[in-house]
Amino acid sequence: MVTLTIDGTKVTVKKGSSILEAAQQAGIRIPTLCHDKRLIPYGSCRLCIVEVTSRGRTRTMPSCFNPAREGMEVATNTPSLRESRRLQLMLLLRSHPLQCPGCDAGGDCELQNLVFEYEVPELNFGRQSRYFHLDNDSHFIRFNMNLCIRCGMCVRICEEVQGQSELSFVNRGIESEVSTDFDRPLDCEFCGQCASICPVGAISSKWLVGTGRRFELKDTSTVCAFCSLGCSLSLGEKDQKTVYVSSPPESPNQGSLCVKGRYGWPIVYSENRLSVPLIRKNGSLVESTWEEAVQSVARGFSSVKDKSGPDSLAVLGSQRLTNEEAYILGKFTRTILGTNNLDHAAGIGYLSLTKGLAPILGYAASTNSIREIRGSSAVLLLGADLTETHPVAKNEVILASSRMKAKVIVVDSIKTKLTDRDGIFLKVPPGFEDLVVNSMLKFIIDEGLFDRASLDLRVDGFESLSASLESYSPESIASYLDVDPEMIKKAATFFAKAEKGVIILAEGLNKSRDSIALSKAATNLALITGNIGKESCGVYVFGEKANAQGAIDMGLLPDSLPGNQSLSDEATRSKFENLWNCQLPVNPGMKAEDLFKAAEEGKVKGLYVVAENFIDNYPNRKQLERALGKLEFLVVQDMFMSSTAKMADVVLPVAAPYEKSGTFTSAERRVQLLNPSSKKKIGKTDLEIFSILANLMGNPELASQSCSEIMDEIASVVPMYAGISYDRIGSDGLTWPCVDPEDSGSPVLYEGGFPLGKARLVPADPPRIIPENQGYYRLIPTITKFHSGSFSEWSPSLMEVCPGRFAEMNGKDMSTLGVNEGDLVKVSGNSDNSLELTVKESRRALLGTILVPYHFSENRLNLFSDWGSVEILVSVEKASK
Amino acid sequence: MQERDALLKKKVQDSVEQIPRDKLELLDPIIEKYQGSTSYLIPALKEAQEMFGYLPMEVQRKLSKGLNIPAPHIYGVVTFYSFFTITPRGRHTIRLCLGTACYVKGAKEMLEIIVREIGINVGETSKDGRFTLEAVRCLGACGLAPVMMIGEDTHGNIIPSATLGIIEGYQ
Ligand code: SF4
Ligand code: SF4
Ligand code: SF4
Ligand code: FES
Ligand code: FES
Repeated sequence: MVTLTIDGTKVTVKKGSSILEAAQQAGIRIPTLCHDKRLIPYGSCRLCIVEVTSRGRTRTMPSCFNPAREGMEVATNTPSLRESRRLQLMLLLRSHPLQCPGCDAGGDCELQNLVFEYEVPELNFGRQSRYFHLDNDSHFIRFNMNLCIRCGMCVRICEEVQGQSELSFVNRGIESEVSTDFDRPLDCEFCGQCASICPVGAISSKWLVGTGRRFELKDTSTVCAFCSLGCSLSLGEKDQKTVYVSSPPESPNQGSLCVKGRYGWPIVYSENRLSVPLIRKNGSLVESTWEEAVQSVARGFSSVKDKSGPDSLAVLGSQRLTNEEAYILGKFTRTILGTNNLDHAAGIGYLSLTKGLAPILGYAASTNSIREIRGSSAVLLLGADLTETHPVAKNEVILASSRMKAKVIVVDSIKTKLTDRDGIFLKVPPGFEDLVVNSMLKFIIDEGLFDRASLDLRVDGFESLSASLESYSPESIASYLDVDPEMIKKAATFFAKAEKGVIILAEGLNKSRDSIALSKAATNLALITGNIGKESCGVYVFGEKANAQGAIDMGLLPDSLPGNQSLSDEATRSKFENLWNCQLPVNPGMKAEDLFKAAEEGKVKGLYVVAENFIDNYPNRKQLERALGKLEFLVVQDMFMSSTAKMADVVLPVAAPYEKSGTFTSAERRVQLLNPSSKKKIGKTDLEIFSILANLMGNPELASQSCSEIMDEIASVVPMYAGISYDRIGSDGLTWPCVDPEDSGSPVLYEGGFPLGKARLVPADPPRIIPENQGYYRLIPTITKFHSGSFSEWSPSLMEVCPGRFAEMNGKDMSTLGVNEGDLVKVSGNSDNSLELTVKESRRALLGTILVPYHFSENRLNLFSDWGSVEILVSVEKASK
Repeated sequence: MQERDALLKKKVQDSVEQIPRDKLELLDPIIEKYQGSTSYLIPALKEAQEMFGYLPMEVQRKLSKGLNIPAPHIYGVVTFYSFFTITPRGRHTIRLCLGTACYVKGAKEMLEIIVREIGINVGETSKDGRFTLEAVRCLGACGLAPVMMIGEDTHGNIIPSATLGIIEGYQ
């Protein structure tokens, strides 16, 4: 810690902080034009100069990159500093066209603000105008380089934070400007970080041009509706309509967003939004009134229940519901419908948390917060293509790799973009990452590279783990996987020796098999290397959709009640029975897979589907369709006419996430508030519908509460939410476990020990057999950064940048097949299913694989998959025109 | 000076035929040599330019993929050093001074004549491979304005209408 005086105020800051940071901490503003806390200081604008007196000498220096030192006296706003800044601003204006009245950055331009603040008089220099490039052809973002002040922040954020390097300074001297190679339009992540960081109007959002200016917009803060990272959003509205989305710099995600968060919001205004309930009459869906629709839903469920018993009903919820909605849906299912047949995410997407991490460590959740990843010294990515699945978490890996020199160890069946970083890439067939992890474990144990001290104190089960790894020697696994055994050993050594190691998994409906074995192996590895319970360490499992964590916490599960509390535990059951004033069904419900089998056999007759499009996204489409054919009554609640909704007997239109209140719990266990952007919404919220149905079906109390009252109820039965209430959440959210109203939340789990007393290592299963691919290609369903489930298909903007129907292949395979980029290939499965896709050459695709994004319903990719299938073998040929 | 900048800023034309795919394979040894060491971009570019005479888009893209360096970064470096060129060089380099003195004394007309008659703008090379046109900002010989250098020869006090005649002297 160092203490210094700034403008007469004493400040104490961490050693290594800059003078600028010290001033900010003291609430003193120093103007900057090339500084952002996410970037390495650059020092080009010199606006941040201050006068520093130490040891009797006064010097002027930029504050953004000079460190604060003990005893410094800093003055930030003397007349001579002001005069110097004024001169600098005048020089900047000399070549900056004064188009402020027509510029969409007007009012939100740092240059304009400073010119105003420093009362820059008339210019006494000749104006100089030069001509630089304009780009109006890129998606979402437009460039007008005439307005650029060369602060370099766009180039730096694209490289330092995004790891993308799409922009560069080109040309030299006074002709230098920011551009791509050969001034082509952008072909990048479209995260919009460059536009959001540009202090002037040189790069900005196309949609703002002529639409609105920042200061006219009414901002509402909410949470991103796409992936599970929970980035904060600020929805800027004009005339009751969102026109601009940004993220506050002080948010946990520091203002960074990905393309979906920043540019995916037009989904709310999609012309395909359902607004009126639909009822099937004489075979086709026709518009009806809310009154008629909800009556027919209530009647439908009651009659199935009366005729065939409660367990002939089943409910599928979704990771897109808020905590409150998920909680009430669970309560509705178990108390009013009277069944535990409740599931979500195909019954697969949460298992690595509930059946992998939880039995070993205690909680079904990632162990650390997202922002800690940047401080780690080794990152092990297990089938986690973060660039595509969780882009803002990918930024953290980029930061760890570039600033902490962390090794990035990628174990994957795709040569992901993060394999470009310094580290190791170990290729495996899809779904076999666990072999490598167990082999690393074996090597670490054999070589004594593990953390004995912390093991003895905190962990059980070492002997049986060690014994179970017999057949996992790096040599045998490597020959099995056809990789170099030294690579496995090197990866193991890097990870074991790293001071802080992070392990990351990513879930998604593109996988039709659970990752329990993998998450167990990953957790074992983190434990024996001493990477649990400390900052910048741990195991992360990033769920797919916005409230993936909340769906587990709220108990959208066949065998657990809210708080991941076991349904078979007598005491837990009676706790809920008392609170809910009911008799809970005792038998665990059917998981999604069994539920469709039962439907096929005619045992499940009524299905309530809330915000899930299983027909397109769950495995084995043929079976799903057969099951649907047998159902007597299907109710679908959705924003859009999904393929599943098309099959329904009743369709209920619901409000968008940005139109409702509630909370989401992000992948770092952060409970955050959603606020509706405007009073207007389309349809009803899921919660409103649950409450109407509960009313009609004889339990009006069930859902008469407001969102904040529901959260209070949750806090009363879910121990890790015990201290959470709406008035405490605030703009940053609260991270569970938060056990009482004084608790400010716990970003790092298990710092003080494990809820089970000790952690329990679990033995590994023997290596699974890798099926031969016998000349077939392995089809790998993938996630792209532009999409989220099949939901984003309804976002006109995301469809514009990534319209789908493509496959990625290795260049060598393409020459073998005689196809060129842009040609159609025909992909055929083992039954009569086939698919034609446009092929793209991609360095991500390894030899013998074909990567197909799973989001697009027209591809019907689940014709190829089956429950629990590891591999999809297909033949690929050039399509005849 | 707006007008001058506008003239200069005209986009580089796609004036030359592309390098065929199989010829690009000549880059493979260079890629092999410098792979994995991104700090050797400049030597790699120098060797590539010696091979093809210039560094067009296809060459830069191929180097970008092979050396795993982002294409915008390579382009940034290529356009930073005057040594590198993205269009083929002619046998003779015409350096036309567009400094203020020369500009007002007729360089503008000279540029227009070159654009019209030789068919190249600044940064381009004529189809027959004879000339590459470059613009310079003051050659320090304002007394001789307007000034034009062809190769090593300096020509001063040029009457615009004589421009073509001077240029034609170089084969
Ligand atoms: S949108 Fe993102 S990836 Fe694309 S240039 Fe801007 S910062 Fe880079
Ligand atoms: S475009 Fe904007 S962010 Fe980029 S260098 Fe210019 S002023 Fe800075
Ligand atoms: S990373 Fe996830 S939460 Fe963040 S903006 Fe993108 S989709 Fe939204
Ligand atoms: S902010 Fe310090 S030099 Fe620009
Ligand atoms: S302006 Fe042409 S030589 Fe100076």
